[in-house]
Amino acid sequence: MVALVSYIIVSAALLGIGIYGLSVKRNAIRILFAVEIIVNAANINFAAFTRYLNPPNVSGQVIVFYSIAASAMEAAVGLALILVAFRVNSSIDVRKMDKLKG
Amino acid sequence: MEIALAVPPDAVFIVLTTITLLAAILALQAKELIYGAIALGISFIGIAGLFILLDAPYLAMLQIAIYVGAVVVLILFTIMLVRREVGEEVVERGERGEGAAGLWIAGLLAVSIAGLAALAGPNLASTPPAGVLSVSELGPVLVTDYPVPLVILALLLSAALLGALMLAKVER
Repeated sequence: MVALVSYIIVSAALLGIGIYGLSVKRNAIRILFAVEIIVNAANINFAAFTRYLNPPNVSGQVIVFYSIAASAMEAAVGLALILVAFRVNSSIDVRKMDKLKG
Repeated sequence: MEIALAVPPDAVFIVLTTITLLAAILALQAKELIYGAIALGISFIGIAGLFILLDAPYLAMLQIAIYVGAVVVLILFTIMLVRREVGEEVVERGERGEGAAGLWIAGLLAVSIAGLAALAGPNLASTPPAGVLSVSELGPVLVTDYPVPLVILALLLSAALLGALMLAKVER
C-alpha cells in the first residue's frame, strides 16, 4: 500500500514547483498557474491526512471541498484583474505594473 | 467507496505522481501559454486520480468539474482575449538570473518539508487504516458540523462573481 509519507512528499514537490513559478515568472497568467498548483498541493495533504486517520474521518474532505470552491472564485477574480491590468497597461508582465510607484 | 483495482495501488500512485509533477512543471515552463494551460489541466486530472486513491471519489469529481471544467477553460479564454492584441506571449526576459535563485528557494523548501516528513516517516501510518470513507458521510458533516462556512462560502461566491463582472465590464 502507499504510505502517508509518499503523499506528503508529492505535495512538497508540488509546493516547490509552485513557489518557483511564483518567484520567477513574470507573466501574470503563469503566476496564477503557480497559485493554483500550490492550492492543489495543500488539498492533497488534507485528503491524505484525513484518509490515514484512525478511524478515517471525512472532515478533511469537507475542507478540500471549501478550498476548491474558494480557489475557483480566486481564479475568476484573478483573471478579471488580469484583463483589467491588460487594458490599463497593455501588458500582463507583472514587472511592468509600476503605475503606483512614486 | 471501495474501488477494485486490477493493478497494485503503488504502480497507480507512481504513474499518477509522475504525470502530475511533469505536467505541473510543463505548465510553468511551456513556451506557449496555451500549452501551459492544457498541461495545468492534465496536472489537475492527475491530482483527481490521487483523490480516487485516497477514497475521495466525490473530491475527484469536483476537481475535474471545477478545475478542469471551469478554471482551465476560463484561463484559456483569458489567454485568447489577451493574446489577440499582444500577438505573442509576454517575453520572459531577465528570468535567467532569477531562475537560479527561485530554484534554490523552492528546492530548499520542498526538500526540507520532504526531509521532515521522511524523518517522521516511522511514526506515520504506512498503510491506510481499515474502514472506508463513503460519499454519503460527507453530506451530513457538511451541513451539521460546518454549516457556517458553507453559508459564508455561498456569500463569498456570489460576491466574487459580481466582483469579477464589475472588473471585467468595459466602461464607455
